Amino acid sequence: MSEQAFLVLTALAEEPLHGYAIVQAVEQLSEGRTVLRVGTLYGVLDRLVADGLAERDREEVHQGRLRRYYRLTDSGVRALQAEVARLSANVRAASAVLRGRGLQAWAGRA
Amino acid sequence: MGGSGVTNLERRYRALLKVLPGWYRRDREEEMVGIFLVERTDDLDLEHSWPGWWETWAVLGLAVRTHLAAGAAFTGVPARVVWRGEAVRALGMLGLLLGLYYSAAVVVVLAGRHGPDPVWWRVLELAPFVAFAALLDGRRTLAKVAAAAPVVVPVLSVGDVREALLSATFAVPSLVTFACLCLGFHREAPTPPARRLLWWGGGAVLLGVVGGFATGTGLLLVGLVTAAVRVFAFVRGDAVFGRALSVFALLQLVPLVVLAAAWGEVTAERNVLAAVLLLAVVAPVRRGRRVRA
Repeated sequence: MSEQAFLVLTALAEEPLHGYAIVQAVEQLSEGRTVLRVGTLYGVLDRLVADGLAERDREEVHQGRLRRYYRLTDSGVRALQAEVARLSANVRAASAVLRGRGLQAWAGRA
Repeated sequence: MGGSGVTNLERRYRALLKVLPGWYRRDREEEMVGIFLVERTDDLDLEHSWPGWWETWAVLGLAVRTHLAAGAAFTGVPARVVWRGEAVRALGMLGLLLGLYYSAAVVVVLAGRHGPDPVWWRVLELAPFVAFAALLDGRRTLAKVAAAAPVVVPVLSVGDVREALLSATFAVPSLVTFACLCLGFHREAPTPPARRLLWWGGGAVLLGVVGGFATGTGLLLVGLVTAAVRVFAFVRGDAVFGRALSVFALLQLVPLVVLAAAWGEVTAERNVLAAVLLLAVVAPVRRGRRVRA
């Protein structure tokens, strides 16, 4: 799973979101490291919908503009859980190696 | 702002979105324009700004993925779009197989030392091996970079203009292959079936070894095999593969035409080959296999 797809799934895990809210949530979750462009966002959303991990929710008109909401499916929740477990295992392994060298993983230096 | 209430910036974004296919735009345009403009409230900005480079680049990327869609990557994608995407990917794979053929022949020629003295850049002619293996392994960026290497060969062989022109002619399939890999094997495209393609790759290498020993038969071998596989695709009812082979056969015709037109190298054997290839180009396709939409 790409980092972008992971962040979009994470953003949708809390509640259904429309496109712009997903862009904002991804930027916040990644602390500004990932800024989704509109073309990229829809590439990711199309893939997630086609894979059955997300689906269209409701539509509403806000200030004359269409907003389409997306939500996570049960498969999406399971995929996110699996990815979190995989990443957590990697983090634990890396942290153990760093501890063995007398370093703290989150500080970046001893 | 015009009388319709549509700002210049909105007009420009809508113009940018025209690079997307109609079926996709009908579904997404309003939603996308809404996101583009959600933070753009300044009147001067709305009248005089243009879509940013990164936004434009991302939309162009989306356009490639939607015009050459992989069946599973989109919902509601028309079958003809999937057909087009599969044909481009098939042409890219055929180009890589052709690259394998020539690479194997180069190895035989260099090993036997019955060709010209080797120069350092001829190692680039072996890049199709890397491109093929990388694509089957799912490492698409490496595959695309390696597929670009044979395109560079004619540029490096400019010492003799005649040789360089001939090399450039033979590099056309490599250029098309590179373009097809870049366009067709995007993020949403499926990974090619490795096991089946390994057989094809093995066949191409074997044929290349034969071609390497039988110097001067390269065009003939490739042309005849292309025509034979084209017949196979017709019998099997594989319209996508058939169309990809038509374009592939057209690419094989280019060197023959150049050899005849620029160097007057016309032989009965080449005329027959050109006729066979032309048939492969214009022959109809049979639709027996459904494209997954």
